[in-house]
Amino acid sequence: MEAKAHALEKPVAGERPVPRSVRRIFGVPTMRPSRPAAPSADPPAPRPPAITPPVAVIALNRLGFGQAPGDIAAFNALAATDAQRLQIWVDQQLQPGAIDDSVADARIAASGYTTLGKPLTQLWADHAAPSGLSYRERIRPADETTLATFVRAVYSKRQLLEVMADFWHNHFSVYAWERYEAATWVHYDRDVIRANALGNFRTMLGAVAKSTPMLFYLDNWLNSEDGPNENYPRELMELHTLGDENYFGAVPRNQVPTDALGIQSGFVDEDVFAVTRCLTGWSIDGDPWWRPRDGNGTYFYRADWHDASAKNVLGHQLPAGQPAEKDGEDVLDILASHPGTARFVCRKLCRRLVGDFPPESLVDAAAQVFRTQWQAPDQIAQVIRTIALSSEFSSTWGQKVKRPFDIAVSAMRAGGADFPFIDGDSDTNSFDWRFYNTGHYPFDWHPPNGYPDFREAWVSSSPRVLSWRLTNWLIDVEDPNDIYRLNAHAQTHVWIRSANDLADYWIDRILGRPMSAQDRQEIVDFMAQGVNPSFDLPLDSDSDLRDRLQTMVGLIFLSPDFLWR
Amino acid sequence: MCEISRRGFMVGCSAAIAGLAGSRFNTLAFAQTPGEQEVMLVLFLRGGMDGLSLVAPIAGSDRGYYEAARPALQIPATGPNAALPLTAQFGLHPAAAPLQELYQDNKLSIVVAAGSTEPNRSHFESMEFMELGTPGVRTTPTGWLTRHLQSSENLPDTLIMPSLAMGGLQQASFRGDRQTINLRNPGNFALNTGPWRWRDAQRTALRKLYEADSSLLHVTGLQALDAVDVIGLFVTDDYTPANGAVYPSGGFGDHLQVIAQMIKLQIGLHVATLDLGGWDTHANQDGHLPGLLTELSQGLHALYTDLNGSGADDHTQRLTAVVQSEFGRRFEENSDDGTDHGHGNVMMVLSGSATGGIRGVWPGLAPGQLFQGDDLAVTTDYRQVLSEILIRRLGNNKLGVVFPGYTNYAPLGVVAGPDLAPDYKGGPGSTIFSDGFESGDTSAWKG
Repeated sequence: MEAKAHALEKPVAGERPVPRSVRRIFGVPTMRPSRPAAPSADPPAPRPPAITPPVAVIALNRLGFGQAPGDIAAFNALAATDAQRLQIWVDQQLQPGAIDDSVADARIAASGYTTLGKPLTQLWADHAAPSGLSYRERIRPADETTLATFVRAVYSKRQLLEVMADFWHNHFSVYAWERYEAATWVHYDRDVIRANALGNFRTMLGAVAKSTPMLFYLDNWLNSEDGPNENYPRELMELHTLGDENYFGAVPRNQVPTDALGIQSGFVDEDVFAVTRCLTGWSIDGDPWWRPRDGNGTYFYRADWHDASAKNVLGHQLPAGQPAEKDGEDVLDILASHPGTARFVCRKLCRRLVGDFPPESLVDAAAQVFRTQWQAPDQIAQVIRTIALSSEFSSTWGQKVKRPFDIAVSAMRAGGADFPFIDGDSDTNSFDWRFYNTGHYPFDWHPPNGYPDFREAWVSSSPRVLSWRLTNWLIDVEDPNDIYRLNAHAQTHVWIRSANDLADYWIDRILGRPMSAQDRQEIVDFMAQGVNPSFDLPLDSDSDLRDRLQTMVGLIFLSPDFLWR
Repeated sequence: MCEISRRGFMVGCSAAIAGLAGSRFNTLAFAQTPGEQEVMLVLFLRGGMDGLSLVAPIAGSDRGYYEAARPALQIPATGPNAALPLTAQFGLHPAAAPLQELYQDNKLSIVVAAGSTEPNRSHFESMEFMELGTPGVRTTPTGWLTRHLQSSENLPDTLIMPSLAMGGLQQASFRGDRQTINLRNPGNFALNTGPWRWRDAQRTALRKLYEADSSLLHVTGLQALDAVDVIGLFVTDDYTPANGAVYPSGGFGDHLQVIAQMIKLQIGLHVATLDLGGWDTHANQDGHLPGLLTELSQGLHALYTDLNGSGADDHTQRLTAVVQSEFGRRFEENSDDGTDHGHGNVMMVLSGSATGGIRGVWPGLAPGQLFQGDDLAVTTDYRQVLSEILIRRLGNNKLGVVFPGYTNYAPLGVVAGPDLAPDYKGGPGSTIFSDGFESGDTSAWKG
């Protein structure tokens, strides 16, 4: 113990001590203790909703984007008990290739997209390299990916894959609407994110590091021995792997404690500088100084740009003169296998799939799998399975709220909407603009940390009002034959006609559980408008009543109950 | 009955408010307590603004260090694109020319080498620490502006709109606050979709659904419904700035105009936040920075011009705008014609009540004077600047609540105003750290 304490205090050769002047200015030591990974002062949990839904609804709304017609019944038909149903359903979802997805595939095939099948070099040749391309052509791959993202979220049966694609897009967040990023966005979504979404984290990390959008977005294509650029290396450590919870700030490395395994428990700026040097030369084909579009848009290692000197990364000594790319690959190995990465990434996964402040026991269990299986091809699927089949998963409800994307997609799913996502279609354009205004447009978050995943971020008035406005538009938009695209009347059996029955049917359809008696009465009263709620309403002969039914469905979409996850 | 209060602005009284909308709300919204008519605007430059380009050394030995560290990105001291002199020592980036006039009129105070006491080169941690007001602690459940609003003793309960967060999401400085209106674009901030015949009835039912309980979603949903009413009544599309003020086009200029409109309406706006992003200039800094500085400077100049009138129409005296960023950038430029994350930075305070001048202690740019040998050091805690505005302009001396753990306050002199002895009581464990959801039946809570 003594020797260890001594070693911690002894400056390592080459370490820069914190200037005395800085300590004096603030009158406090600049070293801070290792911060607990667990938030020590969580905001008080909001009062959860009074009614906890069945496990089917919990699974479909947290491992998917909400139930579509028939989903709850299909879930319940899987087995005799909730635990068995959940296990079967999760295992099915973790094998997305085995799920027939012809409905979503057919919708995508019918949508007229032209870029989703192009390989990276073709995307580059068609949408980045040519002179005189219109803006629309340059961003077409990003545009079509966005539309296909909505199609899949609403209509795909591979719901967990869609949830995880969204998660990883935000974890490895890139702002898509820049020149080279937009042109190659199909590649990023298809080959980097989706290809690895349920696979191996280290593989995905490497694919991201060498992906054209990330190389441009965080400038690593310019990172060279003569001109080190810290932008990507810093976010690689702070956002993609170890996380801010394992960042010790701008302090010397000797102030970072080692863990029980003797591993440096977190990173400091010196590690950022070292990783930056390791990743020098990880660049892009073509002339980086003049016209990158003269190249073919693929990752290219520039040996003459690489800083081959020895480095110390998180206490690991990387010798000078390693073979091509090995410094960088070593860094990705060190980071992907680090216990801090396991905990950081698993905490984010638990936050997405369970609740904003997941119990540490669950994070620990997931991190244990993440770390021991770090080289398994289905590492991520194993971690998700651990989380989804935990007791915490099934017993937690209302610790998260839907974000605008969840609201729009789950409304379309629950409402059985037949909505086109076709470039140039006027309703698609209107939806696109209205969704943009919610502040949650896919791939549109400018900083590299992804959209926030805490309820606190999404309950303020701007996202709330603009989401309400969007769902109320969705229940009012008609196809060219003047038929509602989310047609409540057409989906309501002929013997459901009283205000009581209409309210109960659509509450169950949209929420999968009852409302409180008081809230239900508000829905009934709205539908009845003073008529005895037991009397049948002449829905089939009165278009104004059908508008009222549409608006009642919209009211349920606008209710607090619809917004819990 | 119409009841107007800070908690839930309006309860079924849209018509009553509409009747008042033509006149000012002075009698309704204000008593005559000091600090209460003041408006603080907090402008956050996201991404790490390069303060060494905005306010550059133009003379002395630091100029030599600066030119050596910034061969490509230095702001010339002489010649056609030279820095605009502020003092013998410092000059302003030429793209920020509109700020020079404000500085010369002593309406703009500039604090050099300001920043966080928690050395940190992470955007996200640095911003979070600053906006929560607790350097080094990112789990604080409330933002510093939330705690300011909670601890101000001179804010009447009758303010229609005490706080406004411009942008797609509410800033972390308002975390845990349940009154702030968060607004991105007043033009579409309305519930006017859905079959038109049933809109009003739906709206009535919707309010009842949200009045039925007090969960997070209920409280914030009611707030959103109130916000729609308030914005619909008060914000107009055809706003014409006064005095020929020209706001920059785009979201930032639009947001400033909304704030100016609110200030003039005198409906009790006390704190507003807005952002300008894009400052993370790791590469090709000269391709990005001048445009951003122009947008920033024109925006601040237009706001001041717009609010600058005589007598009752002069709103500049009660405006205090503070401009901050999460950190400055590395002293030495990188070879991509950019700069990496650094430490100390410029803060600016624009106010009709400003004292003007360059404030703070300049730590110097000699190798031994740089933080960790790399960055401009921080000699002024950003909380010192904000605390001075809280005390001298907003009349709130509860520093222990707003900035727990911060104790050695002394005014820098960025604004004029009466000094109050700082009250350092409060902090972790006190009730002020609640976000308002502890009361009631806690037995049902999870987590």
